[in-house]
Amino acid sequence: MSRPGALHGIRVIDMSTSVSGAWCARMLADFGAEVALIEGLNGHPARRLGPFDDDEKSVVAEYVLANRPSAVLDIAHASGIAALQSAISRADVFVCSVSPDELTAAGLNIERLRQSNPRLIFCSITPHGSTGVRATRPGNNLTASALSGWASINGLDDQPPLKASGLQGSYCSGTMAYGSIVSALLARSKQKPHRGQFVDVSELEVMASTFGPALLAGQYQGSPPSRNAKVDMSTGPVPVKDGHFALTISRPHFWRDAMNVLGLDDLADDPRWATSWYRQQHSEEYVDRAQEKLASWNKMDLFDTLAALRVIAGPVLETDELAENEHLRAREFFQTPEHDGPEFPGPAFKMSASPPRLVIRAPEPGENTAEILRTFAGLDEQAIDALFASGAAI
Amino acid sequence: MTGPLDGYRGIVLTQAWAGSYATQLLGMLGAEVIQVEFHGRPDSWRGSYDRPIPDPVIANPHSAAEQHPWNVHSNYNSVNLNKQCITLDLTDPDGIAIFKRLVPLADFVAENFAPRVLGNLGINYEALCEIKSDIILCSLSAFGNNGPWRDVPGIGGTIEPISGMSSLLGYEDGPPLNSGLMYPDAAAGLNGFAGIVTALMHRESTGEGQYVDLSMQESSLAFIGDALLEERMTGRVRGRLGNRHMTFAPHGVYATSDDGWIALAAETEEQWWALCAVSGHGEWLPDLRFADNATRKLNEDVLDAELSDWISTEARDELADRLSNSGVIAAPVLDAHEVASDDALRDRGFILDVDHPEAGVHPQSGVPVQFSGTPTRVSRPAPLQGQHTQEILQQLLGISEDGYKDFLKRGVTGAGPQS
Repeated sequence: MSRPGALHGIRVIDMSTSVSGAWCARMLADFGAEVALIEGLNGHPARRLGPFDDDEKSVVAEYVLANRPSAVLDIAHASGIAALQSAISRADVFVCSVSPDELTAAGLNIERLRQSNPRLIFCSITPHGSTGVRATRPGNNLTASALSGWASINGLDDQPPLKASGLQGSYCSGTMAYGSIVSALLARSKQKPHRGQFVDVSELEVMASTFGPALLAGQYQGSPPSRNAKVDMSTGPVPVKDGHFALTISRPHFWRDAMNVLGLDDLADDPRWATSWYRQQHSEEYVDRAQEKLASWNKMDLFDTLAALRVIAGPVLETDELAENEHLRAREFFQTPEHDGPEFPGPAFKMSASPPRLVIRAPEPGENTAEILRTFAGLDEQAIDALFASGAAI
Repeated sequence: MTGPLDGYRGIVLTQAWAGSYATQLLGMLGAEVIQVEFHGRPDSWRGSYDRPIPDPVIANPHSAAEQHPWNVHSNYNSVNLNKQCITLDLTDPDGIAIFKRLVPLADFVAENFAPRVLGNLGINYEALCEIKSDIILCSLSAFGNNGPWRDVPGIGGTIEPISGMSSLLGYEDGPPLNSGLMYPDAAAGLNGFAGIVTALMHRESTGEGQYVDLSMQESSLAFIGDALLEERMTGRVRGRLGNRHMTFAPHGVYATSDDGWIALAAETEEQWWALCAVSGHGEWLPDLRFADNATRKLNEDVLDAELSDWISTEARDELADRLSNSGVIAAPVLDAHEVASDDALRDRGFILDVDHPEAGVHPQSGVPVQFSGTPTRVSRPAPLQGQHTQEILQQLLGISEDGYKDFLKRGVTGAGPQS
C-alpha cells in the first residue's frame, strides 16, 4: 500500500479547457489530490491536439489528462449546471481556463459559488489574466512567446523570431498555477475559519517571468538582447561527427580541461580565457579552432570524456535516445501507470516522503461520469439516472 | 498578510538561475528567504569580481556613488527579489556552525550545488535532519542525486541539449538550437518552487519533512513530455517545427512593413474567417486549399507565402490590434525593452520599477500570479552581497556587533574579493 500523497484529502474539480489548466490538474492528481475532470460535450480540447497514435488518440491528451477520472456534463443544460455547481460547492479547488466573467456568461456564477463555499480555491489560468486590456483577447503558446520577449531572443537574427518549442508556455503556467494553488491551500490551513481565494494566473506573465533575466539585462546594458547572428560554441550546439554538441562553458576549470581534451593547450593555459565575460567578448578568437576539433568527436565519446573530468557538456539527444538513456533508466524516470498504459516520462522532481504517483492513463471522455456525480457532486442514483436520461450527463 | 506563504522561512544556498528563481517565487509569494552566499566563491550570477560595470548602470542617476560589479549584475538582480543575503564561509568551522544554528529556524533549505558539495560541507539531508527533524531540503542539480550521471555537472546551456529540448527548438530545415537564454533553468525553478510548497503541504498534514530531488534534466523532460510520450506510443521521433504547430495552420511569425514581426495563428474556423475578413483577402475563404484546418495544414507553405505577402505591407502594432480585436490569435513580437514598457503588463502590476541601491531604478518582472485573499508584493530589490549578515545574525542568533566584526575580520563573512 502506497502512502497518501502530499495533497491527500484535497478535492479538485478540473474544468480546464487548455493544456496549461490540464497540466496544473495533472500535477494536483500526481501529488495525491482527488481530481475529477469535467469535460464538455466535445471533450477536452487537448484531445484534438496532434500528434495522434495509430488509434487516433492524442498524445498530448494522453500526457496532460492522465491520472484522473472523467465526466462529461452539458452545462448548457440546467441540470448539468446544477450538478457541476454541486460538485464545486463540495470541492477544495476549482481549476478552469477562462476568466470569472466568461464563466458567469457560460451560466456558472462563480462568485455565488465562492460565497456558498468560502473554502474554495478558484484558479483561473488564461492567456493574459482575467483583468486588463488583453483579458478578452485570445492567445496561445505562440503569442506568449511573442509578448513575453522570448521570441525576440530565440533563433537567428537573419530569420524570424522563434517561439519556445512545443507547449512551454502551457507547462510553465500550469506548474506556476499548481504551486500557487498549493500555496493558497497552505494559507487556508493557517486561518480559522478556513478561507479560499481567487488565484489569477496569466500564461503571458509566467512566460515573461521566466524571461526576467533577459528583460533586466536589456535595461542594464542599455539595449535589448537580440537573436544571435550565428550559432557557435559560445551560444549553442555545434556539429560533431554524429550530431550536435553544446560546450557552453561557465567555470574556469571547465574551460581549461575542455581545451586540453580538444588538444588546444595554448587556449587552456592562457589565463585571459578563464573568465566568461572575456570569452564572450572575444569568442571569434577561439570558436573556429575549437569547433574544428569538436567536429572530429562522436557526441557520447566526448561527453563521457568530459564527464569524467567533471566538465559540463551537452550532446544533443533526441527523444528515442532519451528513452534508452541509462542514467534516466537508473533513476526510473520512465514509468508505466499503475493500472497499465504506455511508458510515461516521469515527474519533474522526486520526493522522499510523499512521492508522486501515476495511477491511471488518461480516461476516455465520460468514462467515470456516474462515479464522479456520486462522489464529487454527492448525487443519488435517481438523480444520476435523470441526468443521463436528459442528456445532461454522458 | 503579504502573500500566501507569509510565515514560512527558507535558509537557502541557491545561486545562478534555477535555484534562485525557485526561491524568488517563494519569496514573492510571501516566504522569508535568506540566501547564504560564500563571498569566496560568489554566486555565479553575480559574475566574476572583476567584471566591468555596464555604462548605463554607472550613469543611472539613482545609483549609489559607490558601485560594485558583483552587486550590479542584471542576472543576479533579476532572480533574487524579496530576499535577504548573508555571507558565510561554509568551509570555515565558524561559518558552518552559524549555518547550522540557522537551520532550526527554517522551514526549508534549498540549494543547487553539484550533489557532492553538501556532503562535503557536512550538511547533507541526513545531517540537516539531525539538526531539525522535519526540515525540507530541495536540491536542484543537473542530473539528480543518484544514477550514473549524478556527479556530472551541468548548466542550462548543456541541459537544454541533453534533455532533448534543443532537438525540438529550431527552424524546420535547420540545426538544433539552444534558447536565447538558458531556458531549462527557468523550467527547473518553477518545478523547484512547486516541489517545496508540496513538501510544506505534506509537512502541515503529517509533521514530516522530506528531501526533494530535482534533476534539471528531468524537469526539462517533463516539459517536453508529450514529445517523449509520442516516441513511446508511436515510435516517432519529433523534429523541429519552427513556429509551426503540430495541428493548427496558420501558425507563424511574419515580417511587417516597419521592420517588426507579428505572431499569428488561427485555431478555429471562426478565427480563420475573422483573419480573412481583416486581411481583405476574401478570396481565401472559398479557396479549397484553405477550406478547413486540415487542408490549411496540408497547404501551409502556400498559405504562409500568401500571409507573408500581405503582412509585409502592414504595420506591426496596428495590425496586431486589428487582428486580436477581431478574435484572431495575434501579437507583436516584443523585445525586452518593449516588454518592460508594456502598458498592459504594468497596469496589472506585473512589470514594476524596482529601486536597487547600487544599480538604480529599473523595470523588472514581478509576481506572475494574483491572489485575491493574500495579495503579494515585491518588497525588496535583490540584496547586495552580504547586505543583511549583521542584521540577521543579530536578530535570529543574538550575535553582537562585536561578534559580527570578529567574523568579518577573520573572513568568516564579508563581501567582495578577499584580500
